[in-house]
This record gives sequence, structure tokens and C-alpha cells, in this order.
Amino acid sequence: MTTATVSRWDRFRESFFWYSFKRDKVAILSFLVLLTMVLAAVFAPWLAPTNPYDLAQIDIMNSELPPVGMAGADPAFPLGTDAQGRDLLSTILYGTRVSLVIGFGAVLLQAALGILFGLLAGYLGGKVDAILMRIADVQLSFSTLMVAIIVGAVFKASFGNLMFGEIAIYMLIFIIGVAEWPQIARTVRASVLAEKKKEYVDAAKVMGFGTGRIMFRHILPNTLSPIFVIATVQIANAIISEAALSFLGLGMPETQPSLGSLIKSGFDYIQSGSWWITLIPGLVLVVLVLVINLLGDWLRDVMNPRLYKG
Amino acid sequence: MTSPLVSIRGLEKRFDLSGGLLEQITFEKGRFRRRQEAVHAINGVDLDVQRGEALCVVGESGCGKSTVARTVMGLISPSAGEIHYDGQRIDNLEGKAALPYRRRMQMIFQNPYASLNPRMTIQQTLEEPIRFHFPTWSAAEVRDKVHEVMQSVGIDPDWGSRFGHEFSGGQRQRIAIARALAVDPEFIVADEPISALDVSIQAQVLNLLMDAQESRSLTYLFITHDLAVVEHFGTRVAVMYLGRVCELADTRTLFATPRHPYTQALLSAIPKLEDDRPNHIRLQGEVPTPVNLPSGCVFHGRCPYANERCRREVPKLIATDGGTRVACHAVEEGRL
Amino acid sequence: MALLEVKDLDVRFAVRGGDLKALRRISFSLDKGERLGLVGESGAGKSVAAFSILNLIAKPGYIAGGQILFEGRDLAAMSERELRRIRGNRIAMIFQDPMMTLNPVLTIGTQMVEAIQAHRKISRRQAREIALDRLRKVQIPSPEKRLDQYPHELSGGMRQRVIIAIALLLDPDIIIADEPTTALDVTIQAEIMALLLELCERENVALMLITHDLGVVSQVTQRMLVMYSGRIIEQGPTREIINDAQHPYTQGLINALPQMGEPGGAIVPDPRLHAVAEERALGVPLPPPLPLRQRAVPAVDAGLCPFRQRGRGLLRSEQPD
Repeated sequence: MTTATVSRWDRFRESFFWYSFKRDKVAILSFLVLLTMVLAAVFAPWLAPTNPYDLAQIDIMNSELPPVGMAGADPAFPLGTDAQGRDLLSTILYGTRVSLVIGFGAVLLQAALGILFGLLAGYLGGKVDAILMRIADVQLSFSTLMVAIIVGAVFKASFGNLMFGEIAIYMLIFIIGVAEWPQIARTVRASVLAEKKKEYVDAAKVMGFGTGRIMFRHILPNTLSPIFVIATVQIANAIISEAALSFLGLGMPETQPSLGSLIKSGFDYIQSGSWWITLIPGLVLVVLVLVINLLGDWLRDVMNPRLYKG
Repeated sequence: MTSPLVSIRGLEKRFDLSGGLLEQITFEKGRFRRRQEAVHAINGVDLDVQRGEALCVVGESGCGKSTVARTVMGLISPSAGEIHYDGQRIDNLEGKAALPYRRRMQMIFQNPYASLNPRMTIQQTLEEPIRFHFPTWSAAEVRDKVHEVMQSVGIDPDWGSRFGHEFSGGQRQRIAIARALAVDPEFIVADEPISALDVSIQAQVLNLLMDAQESRSLTYLFITHDLAVVEHFGTRVAVMYLGRVCELADTRTLFATPRHPYTQALLSAIPKLEDDRPNHIRLQGEVPTPVNLPSGCVFHGRCPYANERCRREVPKLIATDGGTRVACHAVEEGRL
Repeated sequence: MALLEVKDLDVRFAVRGGDLKALRRISFSLDKGERLGLVGESGAGKSVAAFSILNLIAKPGYIAGGQILFEGRDLAAMSERELRRIRGNRIAMIFQDPMMTLNPVLTIGTQMVEAIQAHRKISRRQAREIALDRLRKVQIPSPEKRLDQYPHELSGGMRQRVIIAIALLLDPDIIIADEPTTALDVTIQAEIMALLLELCERENVALMLITHDLGVVSQVTQRMLVMYSGRIIEQGPTREIINDAQHPYTQGLINALPQMGEPGGAIVPDPRLHAVAEERALGVPLPPPLPLRQRAVPAVDAGLCPFRQRGRGLLRSEQPD
């Protein structure tokens, strides 16, 4: 089995993918930044100086301390503290974690729905295609945020604040995932339409393979490149959507802050001079979204650019 | 004579061009009309493929030869007519009932660059059909079979872990042939299997197909636009023009005494090494579109022997004394 | 002096992992009114040779050495501006796909008039007259009507006729035709080749015909070059090569053609085709499949060329380098 894995690795190192990655400085830098942020988020419980979820570790007396380098800073809180006295570095690490979980989770859900519906619509065609794509059109004609605000508000009203806080993360994944599936479904459908004309699909039909096997084993693997590209961009979009919802108070509660809710919680203090509570998480968000988008751009160039429809 | 292995009866296929109902409605001369347009790809084809023979279907682009192949294989359902395999009607079979025929009938495609799944290794490509059609076989039996077919088409079995794009066009076509042979078929439809290949490779692939026919007693339906190839390959030849068979004969008879004016023109148009100048029979005009079929004989617009009857009446495929079957009024009347 | 003389032309494509040699110091010449065939299989470099004559090689390809002398002036060293005066004017080109030349959104007439006015200072009306005359020459039915039609309204054979008419617009000295009939059906191909031959003879235009079809070369050309992996391996009078090829590759190519029995049925061809000797048959193993960049380096360099040992010293007019 080791020989197989070695040859896979060799194949990868031979590939155009790796070759163009090595030559693209922006891609390498973006990848390294993203990797650092993901690793930091994953290992937040070990890296963060304090646990912002643990009320016992918070001292209100430490509130609104500025970052190191400014007058009145405390070296124990390198990025300063927020209005409740939580260490900003720790909250950002934990917040990035929440944002990334929602981003990836929502895109996984989008991809699952989008791939299934896109494959069905593209491969079966006819009425199935017409119905699924009209649903997608209707879905797309509502803005994601509007749907999310309505659904979020209804949930919040019916479950109450406390309960909402517990299920918020799943709620956000669900809302953003369901609202954006047509993006992926359309991309998948477009490339399925191109793939299903190719002779290897006819060859599979001639063999007598069933529809499911042809769709998932033969066509799906050949549509993965565009899915991969659009999924990357969608992660960035999902993170932004989450941040926007949280900023509006319909997202993550302040007890379990995401980057969006951190920005919101600090926003009230920007007038009082505590700009860092908002600005630093904001910068982190911008950098995170930027590197994902840059990677997405690079992926789109490397993989089949024709099939990309954003 | 024994019963044919495959028999095609009254086959017709129209492809609708006009789209949905809304797109069909046009506004003409002051009122709305519903207009339907269709490509008449096949217009009444009867063919029998005898066991052990290689029946070649020849014609130029748009003559419906590929549509015949795809309809026989069930990739397209016919608009009218029937297809029988070994006495059983197969064009209306579905699901489980069709499965045995999916194994007994196989197909080789034109474009070796598109007919192999780019995300599957050669081993996977060849194993999948065997596992599917012989679910009781052990892993070792499947591996042996793959080994055997790869060897029989001249591809080193050690290359199984490679992907299709790592092979040359000729090698890919060999792999495609191996895939068809893997399930032990009796009948193979080859749709222009060599037209995407270089001349030197064409010969190899044709020889391979002939070897396979000999050692596995296969029956072929061979679709091609290249008459020159047919002379080596075919037992019998059917020449098609605009969705109809215009001449059907033993290969040798057809090349020795082509009867239909279109066959004659087609034969004369092949550039030969001996020629110092093009010396083809000049035809008038070009092939009409299969959207608006000419009335009567489909060839009458370009035929130097056409008369009033040709413009009016569709000629039937009639046996001549030479054993050739020709659909031509001029031949029937003895004018040609 | 020959009308066109290519000397030691070397064309390379810069790809990752180094240069890919598409043409390896090829030399040939073309006289006025002569018809020359360039034969080879895909990847032999015959199209590259055609494109490099007018310096139309697209990046990453480039001319790495050699001269292309047209009436004694080196096209390889010319500026883009000077070249444009020769392209389409003195040397015309016909591509395999008519749509490479035709703009789908302009009428045939507009395109022809523009092509003329790009090189000659004449009125629209005069240009239209010339266009009409050329359409008549290529025997297009109702040429006046065609001038106002768009390319998509014409059939494939008709489009290729229009392309030939455009090539003839400015009375060129040379027409380079790259697989002009490959996309067409046999009966149409025969018509177009006959037309091209007739026109070249009548107008005394030199023709460089690039094709993979030995039959066509035999019908149309007087002299031919056989190319294999970027080299010319055999050249000489067409009839002589067809009847008595010296290089084993050319022999293989000719033998691989399906032989047609004579109408009348006296000669029945051997049912087996003569495949061009596979490397294996010559005792050299078939190279294992490789990624493109390795495979594209011709087998000759790897010592795998089956024709290397046997081919040496057999060239009619030139030695391999």
C-alpha cells in the first residue's frame, strides 16, 4: 500500500497544481496565513492565555485595557481587553474558531445540497431540472441576509435568548447553508451538462450501470474542480454572512463570540476611545476573508477557468 | 440461412429542434402558428447483422450512421421501428431485463480522449464492468480477467495504476477495446473507432479488432466514414445517405461493382496513391440538411441520373442479380 | 533563386522543464508555381512549420534559429509591420477550420473588402468587384448573394471555398494550406482539392499543402517532404517517393494505408493491414506512458527511435543532424 501512496505523492508533486502553487507567491503567502489562522483557531484552547468562556477567569476590573505599546497597557493582555475584561487575544482566537466552524459547516451543507440537486438537475434534465432550477432561482432572489434575519428573528423570539445562544451555531450553519446552496447547484449543473455529453458517460450507460452509479461514481469526480473553486469562495462569503448577522445581533451571542459579535460588542465603545475592541477583530476578519478569496482566485486560475460561475 | 444476431426493422429517429411549446409558436403573416422542426436523422432503415460478420455502415457526416449505432446500443430510443437481438426485441427493455444485453452487446467510441473516465485508473476502468456483470467473481478472478484483456490488446498490465491521460491516443483506444472485451460480449458496435487516430496507429487498432473477432468469434457493426478502411474490415457494407440505406452488398461486390450513383461517387472521391490528379465523379451541390428532407429519393438533388420519378417516389432497397441491394430507380429501371 | 527558401529553421516551445524542440533545423525550398506537400502524423511539426513561415507561432513558441528567405528577404528577422505587408498579400494562408479566418459577426463581403483595402488603396466598389470575381473563380453558386451572407449561413464546403477566395484576393505568390479539407466529407474534400489544384495551376501560385493524407499529396503535389518528430526525414518528387520510398518510416506510412482494390475486382487487397512497425517489433521496448513534457521530447533523443539505426544515410537530399 505504501507504493501506492508514494506514487500519489509523486503524482501530486508532478502535477500542474503543485507547480503553479510553487510559482505563485500570493498563493503561497495566502495559504500560509490561512494555515496559521486555522491552526491557531483549532488549537485555541491550548494557545489562548485565558478561556473567555470561563467567567471565573474574567475580572471586570481589567476591562478596556489598551493593547501593549500604549499607555496603561498590561503585558498579560497583549491585545488589550474588552468591556467585560476578557483578554482580546483569547476572544479573537476563540472567535476565529467559531467563525471558521460556521464558514466550513455552512459550506459543507451548501455543497451537500448543491451537489445533490445540481447532479440531479444536470443529469436527469427535463422536468426535474426545470423544477429544481426554478426553486434555485426563487431561493437566489431572496437575499441571504434577509432570509437569515427573518428566520433568526423568528427562532430568537420562539426559543428565547438563552436557548438561542446554545443552538446559535447550528442555526447559523443551517441558515447560511440553505440560503446559498443554489450557487453550488448551478455550478455543478453546468459542469454536469458538459460532462454528460462525453463518451465515457455513454460507455458507462452501455455497460448498463444505474443512474446513481453513473452520477456519483463517474460524473461527480469530474465536476469536483469547479466545486472546489466555488466552495472556497463560498467559505469566505459564509464567514462574512455570519459576521454580518452577528453584528446585527442575530448571530452568535456575546458569551460565545464569533469575530462578528466581537466587532459588534466593541462597536459601542469606539466613541469612548476603546477602538481596539472593534478594530483588531475587524482586521482579523478582513485578513481571513482576503486570504481565502485570494486562494479562491488562484484555484480558479489553476483549475478549469471556463466552468467557474460566481 | 440462420437467423440474424441483430435485426433492425423500420428504424426512424427524429430529433426535435423546436424546443418547448412557447418556443414553437411563431408569428407569421398576421397570425400565430405552431411550428415544429425536427432533424430526420434516420428515415426507415432495415438492416440485419449476421453472426460472425462485420457489417460496415458507411456514409458522410449527417447521414445517420452514428445514430443507428447509438440506437442499437440503446443510448437513444428510436422514434419508430424495432431492434431485435437474438430474436428478442430490445429497444423497449428497461432496467433488469436489459442487463443481459448490456453485457452481450458492447460499444467502442470515436474519441479515445473522451471515452475513458479521466478520474479513474485503467485498472478501475476495467474492473468496474467485470464486477458489475459478474458479481459472484472473487477479487482474484476479476484481476485475472483484467490482466487477460489488457494483455490481449497489447497494454502492459503493470500500467493499470495509471490514468487515461498518460497514454497516447492509440493506447487509449486499445484500453477502450479492452473495456468492451472485459465482459465477454458477442456483439460490438464500433462507432468510428479509428478516425481520431494517426494513419500508422489506425492500422494497429484495426488489426487488433480483427484479431479479437477471430479469437472471440465476435460480430461487429462498424461505423465509419472511410470507405478505404471498409475494404479490409467488412464482410458486408451498407452505404447510407441522409438517413437511408442506399446500397447494401458484400464488400468485394460493392468495391468491384458499385451500383448506386452515390456509392460510385463516394468511391471515386477517395484520394488514391496512384492518382496524379483528383479524378472523382463530380456531384452537384452539397448534402441537403436533414431538417427539410428532399421528396422522393434523398439523393436526387445531386444525382446525374435523376428524373421525375426520383423526385417523387422513394426508392426501395431492391435485390439485383449481382446480389447487391440498391435503392435506386435508375438501377431498377435498367437506366444505370 | 527559389521563391521561398527555409534554411536550418529551428522552432522551440518554452515549457516548464525546458525547451521543447518542435522543428529541428529543417531546410526546404519552394519554387514559383510549385506545389509542395508536407506530410506527417500529428506532432510531427508540420503545422508548426507552416505557421513559422509567416512568423505566426504563438507564445510560448519561438523561432530559435535559421532563416526563412522569401525573395531573398528573411521573414524571421522582419518587423511585425513589414510582415503584415506580406501576410495575406504575398503569402496567403488557409486553415483547417474556416472559422479561424472568418469573423462570425461580419458578412463575407465586408471581410473580403477589408482584406483588400488593408493592402491596396482602392475604393469599396472596386474591392467588391475583386471579391465577386474571386468568388466566381472558386465556383460558388450565386456569388452576389454570398457577399451579403454571414459565415454561419454557409455549409462547411462553401465556407472553405470562401476561404480559398479570400486567399486569392490579392493574387498571392504562395498559398500555405494547413489541412484544408480534413474537417470535410470525402466528396466535398475531393471537390475542394480539385479546385485548389486548378486555381494554383491557372494562376501560377505556389502551394504548400500540409496534410496527413498521402493520397491527397499524391493527387495534388509535385514534390513532398515527410516529417517525423520535427525533422524532415525524406524529400523528393512526390511520385518517386510514393512509388519507391527510401526511409523506413515513409515506407511504413505508405504500407499502413488501406489498399483499395481496383474497380473491376481484379486485385483483392490483403485483409491484414501493414501496421507501421511498432517499437517493440524492432526489439526496443515501447516507452512507458509518461507525462506530456517528458513524452514530447522526441523518442529520437532517448535512443528509442526505431528508425534511427535503419534510417541513417537514406535521405535523398539531406542528412539528419
